[in-house]
Amino acid sequence: MTNHSPTDWKAFFLRFETLLIAVLLAEIIIFSRTAENFVTTGNGLEIIRLSVELGLLALVMTPIILTGGIDLSVGSLLGLCAISFGKLWRDAGLPPVLAAILTLLIGAAAGGLNALLITRLKLPPLIVTLGSFSLFRGLAEAITRGVDNFTGFPPSFLFLGQGYFFGVIPAQLPILVVAAIGFWLLVHRTTFGRSFRAIGFSPEGTRYAGIPVDHRVGLVYVLSGVMAALAALIYVARVGQAKADAGTGYELLAITAVVLGGTSIFGGIGTVHGTLLGLAVLAVLKNGLTLSDMPSELAGILTGVLLLSVLAGEALAQSISRRRKQSPPTPTISTSPKPQT
Amino acid sequence: MKRYFRELSVLFAFLAILLLLAFRAPEFFQPSQLLSMLCDAVPVLIAACGMTLVIVCRQIDISIGSQFALCSVFAGLTASSGLPMPVVAFVAILCGAAMGAFNGVLVAGLGIPSIVVTLATMVTWREALRWWREGEFVSNLPENFQWFGLSQQVGQITIIGIAILLFLFLAFALKHLSAGRFVYAVGSDKEAARLAGIHPQKVTFAVFVLMGALTGLAALLTAVRFPDVDPKAGQGLELKAIAAAVVGGVAISGGRGYLWGVAAGVLLLSSIAPALVFLHLQPQWEKALQGLIILLAVAADGWRAVRKKD
Amino acid sequence: MPTKSHRALNPYPLYCVQSNALNNQRHHIPMKTLLTTFLSLCLVFLFSERSSGADKQLTIAMMPKSKGNAYFISCRKGAEQAAKDLGVKLLWDGPTEPDPARQNEIVETWITRGVDVIAVSVENREGLSTALRKAKEKGIKIITWDADAEPDARDFLINQATPEGIGYTLMDEAAKALGDKGEFAIITSSLTAANQNEWIKYIKQRMEEKYPDIKLAALRPCDDLKDKAFSEATAILNSNPNVKAIMAVCSPAVPGAAEAVKQSGRKDVTVVGLGLPNENKRYVKEGITTGVVLWNTEDLGYLTVYAAKALADGTLKPGATSLAAGRLGELEVKGDNVLLGKPFVFTKENIEKFDF
Repeated sequence: MTNHSPTDWKAFFLRFETLLIAVLLAEIIIFSRTAENFVTTGNGLEIIRLSVELGLLALVMTPIILTGGIDLSVGSLLGLCAISFGKLWRDAGLPPVLAAILTLLIGAAAGGLNALLITRLKLPPLIVTLGSFSLFRGLAEAITRGVDNFTGFPPSFLFLGQGYFFGVIPAQLPILVVAAIGFWLLVHRTTFGRSFRAIGFSPEGTRYAGIPVDHRVGLVYVLSGVMAALAALIYVARVGQAKADAGTGYELLAITAVVLGGTSIFGGIGTVHGTLLGLAVLAVLKNGLTLSDMPSELAGILTGVLLLSVLAGEALAQSISRRRKQSPPTPTISTSPKPQT
Repeated sequence: MKRYFRELSVLFAFLAILLLLAFRAPEFFQPSQLLSMLCDAVPVLIAACGMTLVIVCRQIDISIGSQFALCSVFAGLTASSGLPMPVVAFVAILCGAAMGAFNGVLVAGLGIPSIVVTLATMVTWREALRWWREGEFVSNLPENFQWFGLSQQVGQITIIGIAILLFLFLAFALKHLSAGRFVYAVGSDKEAARLAGIHPQKVTFAVFVLMGALTGLAALLTAVRFPDVDPKAGQGLELKAIAAAVVGGVAISGGRGYLWGVAAGVLLLSSIAPALVFLHLQPQWEKALQGLIILLAVAADGWRAVRKKD
Repeated sequence: MPTKSHRALNPYPLYCVQSNALNNQRHHIPMKTLLTTFLSLCLVFLFSERSSGADKQLTIAMMPKSKGNAYFISCRKGAEQAAKDLGVKLLWDGPTEPDPARQNEIVETWITRGVDVIAVSVENREGLSTALRKAKEKGIKIITWDADAEPDARDFLINQATPEGIGYTLMDEAAKALGDKGEFAIITSSLTAANQNEWIKYIKQRMEEKYPDIKLAALRPCDDLKDKAFSEATAILNSNPNVKAIMAVCSPAVPGAAEAVKQSGRKDVTVVGLGLPNENKRYVKEGITTGVVLWNTEDLGYLTVYAAKALADGTLKPGATSLAAGRLGELEVKGDNVLLGKPFVFTKENIEKFDF
């Protein structure tokens, strides 16, 4: 975000995150009146508990989008990791801990595939991850022959997704908290993370500045794979089964949370706390609607509408502010060489 | 020859599969089987043509799956309320065009990135349809709905014929009509196009409307194959269309792409599933193989580009 | 601040998704946006009911395997009828397509919401049982209907007929279609659905005992989806030319398989299965489908709600042998199973008389 003096109240209130907080507050106020048992600690913790998997994906999607890239394969990778875990545990007979570690490695390897294609071959992330989206889900379906379903996990493992510390705190909550803090520090406080925004603005410029762009971008895709694997483990523990269709649609929800949180899809602008706010808005919406006895489809509709209104509003504001400036539009002639056909 | 290397290699791969089938499973070539396979490929072909225009224009549209479902349901409802088939067709196409226009206004008019716009519209329309129909099929369709009232074989040939004619027209238009050249111009370099007198915003808007209209047509041609309309139809269509386009040589950075390459891509990707069944292999490998083909196709591009740079 | 010209330094967008520049200042948010979003949320407020504290009415939360399935739509009709008669509040929700993870989520949300009884048709036996046990711990009564969970996760099962009865009837119909010898294929909903698995067990048993010349050539799931059943049936016909009958043990698959047989042009293949009369009338008339087995689905929904209320107010306890179920009379309770009745076969002769 740009620097502004803290006493600049107008700018403070007009920041993107402020808008999100306002939306969140509005949701909470409305749902507290329409929904049963909405404003209870139990429900609050449930909301967080049910959005840990998505949260992990959205957290890692933020730096990826900051670099101007995208990862459409995280949902499918979740499914692949889920069944890999199931297979390692059931068919290879490994203890859950070992199977989990191997699953994380599988996730890293899959992320590495994306990383390789994007950094070495300079391919557009949209297409690479589209291909791996198909490939990972396809592998998951092929390995399970489309039908195999792993269940019957030991209670010690299921505690990860279904257990509560001291009877109140969901077991997966600490994981999300650690991940959130970790990613925030990574993106906002380390030089490593801060280079992401530079890469998003101009990869070439960043490269000239001496930053190993390929390494960093590659690493963030590998990290994405690891997060998908972690989310897969929590998912399997929560639902109690591992099936090839796990995580369907999660990549789009993660991207929605990130974009809603103020990150520009072109890269260069965005924050981790914005993503967390976006995630909160979406999770509260879904939970509140179900508790208000509203059908679950309404959550999807309002999510889409919210996303569009926020972006449209912003675009309108920009075009209005640009028109307000007196200077006529100067024709900019691109100095770039034309791409060969 | 070198210029079309990509498109030709895709065509070759497709012919290779056909050859394999000719030897190992000649029953694949029964007319009923071929007709049904081609009918399966029709919506993907039509959608891929539209998607090619969108991608050439440096945009993307991932909402066509939801558009497809809505158009099918509206077509079905129009038919079940007794209106004649031409009206049904018009409704389907109009419905698609309207949704495409909505996308277009947001992308071209407000400048919101198309991936986000179409992501939002995809989710909104899909969930709205689910809320409305709750998964219920549209039944009680009149007799003349399925296969346009013709016999099954004639109906299938009609569907395939319409798709081929449309494809030929689009290929011609893209190459020879100035409107077609505008799309390439805007995709190559927006500023240069603008300076040359083309309105990039109008072109972008038109491309989205056309994508929607084509989706509506694809929905119609699929809906008439069955006696009732499935509100879940069209799931995953956007990915199939993008995959076919990319495999067929359309560059995601815009400005390059030949429709006949896209057709080759469609044929290749659509033949995998039936080939697996007839070769007695696990049909679940279809998605994995498609993903692999996409990655191979794009990797080949990237590798050549990297080599050229050295 | 990045401006348009910096893009000129970067002619080949290496990592960019697209390259329209327009993404600058983020801190000018107009009040318009705030207003739009606030208003749309207010719309939700207007359309939802106000609930002030605990419900005075009994709340029964009922979930099908999938909302879009005609079978469950018909069950819902009966359930809503019973809810009206009894004056209880009926919540009907579920995934639009069969989705075990979604069923879990909805059950968990109902636990938070606080309902009196949860009645669910279970898609994944083990997966959902954990959520149901959690609900049981919180004091919510659990009924399964149509498809069971693990017995310790629920209080009662509302069964439409004995699995034996269903399995045997289906096998007999298939044998009739095959002329007591040949190959057939089964299309089921999913390999984890407990009810279909029970029935298949009895189908196989009947086949081995009574029809030694009949062989089961293929067993494929269709995820309770009609279009998937269509493609599975087509694939079966293509890869197993000796299959002369397809048995569809979930209701969307019967018309799906029949349409596949019709479009393949194979006149020597017939379809039998578990399905609704209305969906199958056309195929029965054309002779493609020879026997449709079912029970009264509306009654199933009706009975479930009655049983749920009886369970909630203590009338239905472990050890009961019968249940008074409104217009259905006194129904038998065997252990923890409440039985609706016997399966019924719809054929060309009688299918016209039914409308559901």
